[in-house]
Amino acid sequence: MAIGRTIRDDFDWPLFIAVSTIALFGVLNLYSATEGGRTSDAYVQQLYWLILGFGVAGLTVAIDYRHFERYGWVIYGACILALVLVFGLGRSVRGSTRWIALGGFSLQPSELMKIGLIIALAKYLHHDTKTGGRTLADLIIPGLILALPMALVLLQPDLGTAMVLAFIFASVMMLTQLKMRSVVTLLATFVVAAPVTWFYLLKDYQKERITAFWDRIGGTQTDLLDSGWHTHQSLVAIGSGGLTGKGFTQGTQTRFRFLPDQHTDFPFPVWAEEHGFLGAVLLISLYLFLVLWALRIASQAKDRFGAVVAVGVGAMIFWQTVVNRGMVSGLLPVVGMTLPLFSYGGSSLLSTMLGLGLLMNVSMRRFSH
Amino acid sequence: MITLSQRREVGEFRKRYRWMALFVVLVFGGIIIRVAQVQLFQRDRWSGIAQQNITKTLELPATRGVIRDIEGRVVASNRPSYDVYATPRLLGSDDVDRIGSLMGLSKQDRNSLQTRLDELPPSRRTHQLELFSDIDREQLAALETHLAELPALDVVTVPLRDYPYATLGAHLIGYLNEVNAQDLERSSDPSAYRSGDRIGRSGLEKRYEPLLKGSRGFRRVVVDARGKALVGTRPDSLEVEMLKKPVPGHDIQLTIDMRLMEAFDRAFRPHPSGAAVVVDIHTGAVRALYSKPVYDPNEMSSGLSTKRYAELTGDPFRPLIDKTMYETYFPGSTFKVITALASLEDAVVDPMQRVECLGSLKIGRQKFRCNKRHDWVDLYESIVQSCNVYFWELAEQVGIERITRYAEAFGFAEQTGIGVNSEAKGFLATREWYIEHYGAFRIGYTLNTAIGQGNTRVTVLQLAMANAAIANGGTLYVPQVVQNVRAPDGSLSETFEPRIKREVGVSPQHLDLMRRALNDVVQEESGTAYRARNRDGVGVAGKTGTAQVVSRRGRSEESSSAWYLDRSHGWFAGFAPAEDPQVAFAVLVEHGGSGGASAAPIATSVMQQYLSEPEPTETE
Repeated sequence: MAIGRTIRDDFDWPLFIAVSTIALFGVLNLYSATEGGRTSDAYVQQLYWLILGFGVAGLTVAIDYRHFERYGWVIYGACILALVLVFGLGRSVRGSTRWIALGGFSLQPSELMKIGLIIALAKYLHHDTKTGGRTLADLIIPGLILALPMALVLLQPDLGTAMVLAFIFASVMMLTQLKMRSVVTLLATFVVAAPVTWFYLLKDYQKERITAFWDRIGGTQTDLLDSGWHTHQSLVAIGSGGLTGKGFTQGTQTRFRFLPDQHTDFPFPVWAEEHGFLGAVLLISLYLFLVLWALRIASQAKDRFGAVVAVGVGAMIFWQTVVNRGMVSGLLPVVGMTLPLFSYGGSSLLSTMLGLGLLMNVSMRRFSH
Repeated sequence: MITLSQRREVGEFRKRYRWMALFVVLVFGGIIIRVAQVQLFQRDRWSGIAQQNITKTLELPATRGVIRDIEGRVVASNRPSYDVYATPRLLGSDDVDRIGSLMGLSKQDRNSLQTRLDELPPSRRTHQLELFSDIDREQLAALETHLAELPALDVVTVPLRDYPYATLGAHLIGYLNEVNAQDLERSSDPSAYRSGDRIGRSGLEKRYEPLLKGSRGFRRVVVDARGKALVGTRPDSLEVEMLKKPVPGHDIQLTIDMRLMEAFDRAFRPHPSGAAVVVDIHTGAVRALYSKPVYDPNEMSSGLSTKRYAELTGDPFRPLIDKTMYETYFPGSTFKVITALASLEDAVVDPMQRVECLGSLKIGRQKFRCNKRHDWVDLYESIVQSCNVYFWELAEQVGIERITRYAEAFGFAEQTGIGVNSEAKGFLATREWYIEHYGAFRIGYTLNTAIGQGNTRVTVLQLAMANAAIANGGTLYVPQVVQNVRAPDGSLSETFEPRIKREVGVSPQHLDLMRRALNDVVQEESGTAYRARNRDGVGVAGKTGTAQVVSRRGRSEESSSAWYLDRSHGWFAGFAPAEDPQVAFAVLVEHGGSGGASAAPIATSVMQQYLSEPEPTETE
């Protein structure tokens, strides 16, 4: 009864339309990217995933988000458990273990972990209602909430997802009234931690990509065939699109397979090549709208849990979008980051839809009790 | 309804949303700026690469122009050569071994091929590279059956230069070899030459390189990232030309008559080295430029080894030198015509006045020897019998200045301007030159100059041109070897009209006297070339000469041929037919001894063949 009334009155149409449009563009783009190739039915699979995703989001919306708050630790714990299971049951692809087989599908627990982290942080901040300035001591528990899954994800290793987890955490914590002194201390820690990470934590292939990136920035790039190749071909695709693009299914970089991982990490160059600058701006604007809308939902949320969840989901979409765009346009090193809603891949889509379901949930229940 | 406590709960966050929104807008704005930079401002650059990515360019070489002789006989043309090119980026890991076994390469050759490919810089890996050239039929057949499995390979048919007359006329025609770094740098059009192309390196091939070359074309095919050709695919965004037909080079027709060249080649058979030039006296068109021995143009174009080059340069008969225009010789008695004309023109002596030749002449302490005792001779007889004593007596009165002046009028000591290959100027010594180099001037220098010895140096071509001027009544022409140039469609694009260098300024009756004297050199029993005359055949007129050879001892002392290399050169220079001159000639037989015995028979027999045969009505 309550739900019926809410959907009728408070259904967030702008959010729904923006999400649907991006997802539809994603399917079209996937069709174009894979047409005539070995994976030419990928867009059909993606449609199935999308239907499943909307179903999951619908279920998420149906349950009052306060129930998620209640079972916050359980959800968080389940995600952690799944991450641990990866090491026992996981399937190894290209040197990293990220997937576990679930029936016919393979699931990527690290994707679900993003949502788990958002919920856990939201639950913690919901109950920690300090209004004054926060110090580093106040960051210890949230920091631990981040550290556990992040360590597990880094062990897989999956640098991209670990970065997203860190970015979500940082964004959420920026909501709170952190003292300037604490922020400075944090930055200093980062400066110290960076070289440690470089020398002890990063794998060689990860370092290679980052080196290739700096080489290109510095103009000393020597071998296009190795690490810089992906970014180079990606820039060729984007750049040759021009103002209006080469037309749907007419991208030569795509069709003649010069783009690496064109349907997972590099769908944006495909889009930009075929639809040009105008198409690229349209797509970027949709994401911009989505993130700003999430912030608006957060600001209207009726409680801290809802606000943190909205900011967390917004941050998740924002950072993944920015890193993916930066990567394909040569501004950031290639780290392996999907473009939410747009990239091919079930787990990524599912976790995004889960997040968007939560967002809708918060949006629709801003006035209810 | 929202309670106060709830407002307070979320109140901590309130201040942050604006800043977050601003941050988000700035970051997305930055991305849009970056995308604009790449898509709008750098578009041309990236589009270019995108088009390069999906196209493979196959070169279509131009057919080089054909060179023909005056009768249309082919002197230089083209035959197909099958060359193998590879695009290194598309080579699979075991492709080199495949190619090696198909081509029948040795293990060592395979390894060096692999090394050559491995050492390529990445920027060159997308460009075609020539692996093999002019492969044989078996290799071609083996490769072609497997070409579909080797997308990196292309077999290109390239026209290769072919010289049907082999070495005959090689100095004039020239040869091609591979372009070098300087050629590529010098070329004004950067696309005109690529590494591996051939360029005219000497002779007409070099002189007319821009006309003969033509311009290459290309065909582009669309390929995917693995280099697989996608036949019939042409993306709309591909803005490049897919096909440019090659433009063949211009054809060149020479004034040279290869039949005449062959006649000289036969006539020169007894002699290891020499040269001959025949020119049309009315136009200056060169009918023959014959130099012996010659190098093999095919050998030159494939690149000489250091050892072979040393062999060629060390050969005492100097095959690399074009003896018609690059080497200079003493003109010997052929020069007496010039001395005689100088004296006649300036009325220094009475031509009818006789001088007694006792076989030698003593001037001061020096004794100058004549070839025999001629007794009393006048100017006319001294030409016919080639009496040195008469000319020594004459020289004292004519003086070196007059001799030099008339020699210059007839084109000596200056380049003829033929425009092919390097041409020597020759040399005429003046009084000042002798003073500068020998300290003082002696009468002996004039005496030597008068009979074509001393320091006078001429080329065979200069002597032929001077005789043409004598034969045609005093017009000195610029020699020309090209009659016309035709565009690929057959239309005439250039014809070469006769070019007069100057009128020599000698009176017709004096030239006539000389022509009669030269005729009698052959026709009179006392003439020095009487034994070389054509009985009942073409009348040939000319002056014999015997040029001393500056001793070569020290260079080939050990050689068994040293005695031969010290023998004098034999000359015969004149015109034919004697009654109605059409062509002038100069024939030099190196180390042939007396000109009357060596050079004159060659000239008369070749003229006999050349001028008595009917004009051919059809071309070969």
